Amino acid sequence: MRPEPVLYGDRKVYPVSAFNRGVASWLQRLPTVWVEGEITELRRQAGWQSVFFTLKDPADGACLPVSMPRGTFDALGLDLADGATVHVFGRPELFAARGTFRLRALSLEAQGLGALLAGIERLKRTLAVEGLFARSRPLPLFPRRIGLLTGAEAAAKRDFVTAVQARFPAARVLVAETAVQGPGAPRAIVAGLAALAAEPGVDVIVLSRGGGSFEDLLPFSDERVVRAVAACPVPVVSAVGHEQDTPLCDLAADTRASTPTAAARLVVPDEGELRERLASLRAALARETARTATRAHERLAAVHAALGREGGRTVVRARERLDAHAARLARAPGALVGRKRAELEGLAGRLRALSPEATLGRGYAIVRAGDAVVRTGTALAPGERVDVQLAEGGFGAVVEETR
Amino acid sequence: MSERPSEPTFEEARAELEKIVAELESGRAGLEEALALWRRGEELHRLCLAKLDAAQGAIEDLGRRAGDASPQ
Repeated sequence: MRPEPVLYGDRKVYPVSAFNRGVASWLQRLPTVWVEGEITELRRQAGWQSVFFTLKDPADGACLPVSMPRGTFDALGLDLADGATVHVFGRPELFAARGTFRLRALSLEAQGLGALLAGIERLKRTLAVEGLFARSRPLPLFPRRIGLLTGAEAAAKRDFVTAVQARFPAARVLVAETAVQGPGAPRAIVAGLAALAAEPGVDVIVLSRGGGSFEDLLPFSDERVVRAVAACPVPVVSAVGHEQDTPLCDLAADTRASTPTAAARLVVPDEGELRERLASLRAALARETARTATRAHERLAAVHAALGREGGRTVVRARERLDAHAARLARAPGALVGRKRAELEGLAGRLRALSPEATLGRGYAIVRAGDAVVRTGTALAPGERVDVQLAEGGFGAVVEETR
Repeated sequence: MSERPSEPTFEEARAELEKIVAELESGRAGLEEALALWRRGEELHRLCLAKLDAAQGAIEDLGRRAGDASPQ
């Protein structure tokens, strides 16, 4: 259905409604597409056929009016608030009565935290497998220059610089201010990191960003930024967001700090402490050297004393040995006599055991006739006189008969 | 890392000083060795202090420096 112009001479003139219809028919030939943006100015009323809202691009604020059939919108059962990120599937159409164009939505999906978190989780697993989160280089104790990458907002930069100067007044800080939020932020952060790392003497880089919403911190979980942090030739300290936030750049950095102030404590030493430590090291140096000298002296004295003592002890031991010999020598004659006496007494005992007196003691008697000892009865005759000797004394007797 | 190859950085000098003191504290060093360590320790201490004293603080801006033909 082509709109018909009215002819004024050779000039074709379209009435407004015809013009609008013409544009509308052109718009209808465009394909249906998915559009992403944040919902604002959501208007829904029971009597209306459609729900209206404006899709806003968070990067530059570009706006797109959207209408959606109320029934379709209600059927989604979504609790959408202003600021929610959505994907809208639809095609542009002209609102002929007003000559404004808008997106006619056929479908809508919420792109909430869940969808973003799932994307970050996937990226985290991929990068972890690549080993991007495994590095933790030591920070220099005394960096020649400190690179600070920070947003234009003053707080994080001021906190860091103040803390650095309080601890170590001689620190040299090189500041690179970049966009840290929005779609251009990842590329700006990557460029800032590279520029800082290329500066001579920069021994450590601090990535600083104050607290913000989950979405505000998204650039610090961007794959390009995370890879740049992991590949940075100098150690990187990540001080992004608050304690509870863990953007992926925290994992790729060599060290993580909860705040810019904490980052300052990590990258510069406390000069007062440093000087105290040096003084105490010097004192220890002098003390320990003196102690080594004292110990050497004491050892020498001890060895000398031992030398004298051992010399004396040798003489004493020799004298003692000599005395022992002399004593044994002196005891020797007495012992000899005793031994001989004991031998003699033994012999005397054996002698006594063999004498007739011992036999008589056991009750035997010796019978003599004249001087001869009588051994057989038949050697005697009745009436003959014999002499009987006992152990004690004896008696004379007359033989009555012989057997 | 250092300006001259023979001169240690602050960290290197301090680390060596710490090591020397630890060695002396262990009591393993003989007298001659202890005296040599002490002389080296004093030298390192002077070096560390000199480096601390010579350091000059500065806050520079990379963006502004980049636009400047002759920095500083």
